[in-house]
Amino acid sequence: MPSEAFGQARVINVVDLTKRFGSKVAVDHLEFAVRPGVVTGFLGPNGSGKSTTMRCMLDLDRPDTGTTSFDGQRYRDLPHPLNVVGALLDAGYVHPGRSGRNHLRWLAASNGITRRRVDEVLELVGLTSVAGARLRSYSLGMRQRLGLAGVLLGDPGTVILDEPANGLDPEGIRWIRDVLVHLAGQGRTVLVSSHQLSEMALIAQDLVVIGQGQLIEQSTVTSFIERFADRWVRLQSPAATQLIPALTAAGATVTQLGDTTLEARGVECATVGELAAAQGLVLHELSPQTGSLEDAFLKATAESQEYRSGAIAGPT
Amino acid sequence: MINLLRAEWIKLRTVTMNWVLAGIAVAFPLLIVLLNAFFRGDEADFTSRQLLDVITGSSFIPSLLIGAIAITVVTSEFAFGTIRPTFAATPRRLRVVAAKGVVVVVFGLLLQGFVVVVGTFVGSAIASGQGAHIDLGEVDTAVPALIGTVLLAGLMALMGLGLGMLIRSTPAAIAVFILWPLLAEALVGGLLSLIFKGSQPADWLPFRVGFRLPQIDLYSDGPGRLVSGLYFGVVGLAVAALGAWTVNRRDA
Repeated sequence: MPSEAFGQARVINVVDLTKRFGSKVAVDHLEFAVRPGVVTGFLGPNGSGKSTTMRCMLDLDRPDTGTTSFDGQRYRDLPHPLNVVGALLDAGYVHPGRSGRNHLRWLAASNGITRRRVDEVLELVGLTSVAGARLRSYSLGMRQRLGLAGVLLGDPGTVILDEPANGLDPEGIRWIRDVLVHLAGQGRTVLVSSHQLSEMALIAQDLVVIGQGQLIEQSTVTSFIERFADRWVRLQSPAATQLIPALTAAGATVTQLGDTTLEARGVECATVGELAAAQGLVLHELSPQTGSLEDAFLKATAESQEYRSGAIAGPT
Repeated sequence: MINLLRAEWIKLRTVTMNWVLAGIAVAFPLLIVLLNAFFRGDEADFTSRQLLDVITGSSFIPSLLIGAIAITVVTSEFAFGTIRPTFAATPRRLRVVAAKGVVVVVFGLLLQGFVVVVGTFVGSAIASGQGAHIDLGEVDTAVPALIGTVLLAGLMALMGLGLGMLIRSTPAAIAVFILWPLLAEALVGGLLSLIFKGSQPADWLPFRVGFRLPQIDLYSDGPGRLVSGLYFGVVGLAVAALGAWTVNRRDA
């Protein structure tokens, strides 16, 4: 794992960021901030502007308006950026004829980082045994690990990753999850974009959700789910069907799942309990239910989906 | 800047194709020189001037290959996307461009310098061994022509780098780099000669001027060796500066 004496963690500030590609507005007056010490998930549908925003943060794309900064300092003004911000935008950004070690060596040399540190990060990501092999022989998962090694080279206080779990096997996904949680636990600023919402639900505390280049929501994961996901009450009772009229009369929308199980929307647990007690019905389960991060995300971004799937027709 | 020079040197030396091209750039002219020295050294008319002609004449191919290396140094970064980690590691892009320029120009000068020195000394020794009378001091323009041969490689590297930055695509940039001197300047030169009923404007076409650097005798009308070097250098710098400006301005 990276050392405890990493570079200063910085608040990432995105202010009024706009980026156009011809007539297409990729990022539209976007504003948000990312705080240190937690993993912040950067979510949005395909084409929502996540990668463009990240490229603007690293000064790779030139924004039309607005700024991005790290504790107020522009990326281009950082004398040794790798010691401040570690970024992995695409693990495929490597020369296939170069070895993994040499890829890291030129990256390290550009910021005055020692060769010993190159060997350390190779060890850290588990690539020491293949460090001399050409990158064309690396799998996508190995390239992701190499990319993460590049991120950790300068032991930065701020980490920006675009889809870091792409191409990783389950062990690799778990490994990267542990690394990100560890980095944030050390107090670093960690911004991660991902489409794997179940993974994001496990590691992120904060979320920045965008759609069509605009901010949809910035909040904690918990508040995001509370705000956007469905909530309902699940109950099990041997006399479940007898409770349906009372629930309906109380304004609930009831779905019956088998003879003994109901789901009631639009009503609180306490109300359901009181209605059951009033009728002298036995309850085996009475629990509040909340939708997943995926449910909340789909609801929040429903209006911003640029590419929608058609219904899959069954065999005729 | 030292860090960037190290980084760019690591990039250049860790790609096998660069060494393959460099190997051809060294082997091809040396083979021509050594074979000429060996097989023609016993001919009565094989003089110091003929040996120098072979050395400087065969420098055209390595100069093109050095330019091709310079092109791929930058276009491969765009092709494989490594330009993004490069600029993320060094957001001040002009410094990266400058480091690339220094590395490819010095690499080209050293490579061509090696070819010229080895070709001259070994070629002279072999030809002398075959009975030829070789004394390079007899040819007044020997040293300027040999220096010009080396300088041409450096300037071709600069031109290649500039075209690579402007065009970004390896095949397209190499095609332009080869066709510009071999085809475009020949056509434009012919056209200018027809229009102006003379050859003066055509004498100032960039590569035509640049290729005067290694000539033993500057036969045709046109600028002298020093002016030729400065002129071609200015054109190369202008192309490189334009390339650097676009790289700095556009999204990576």
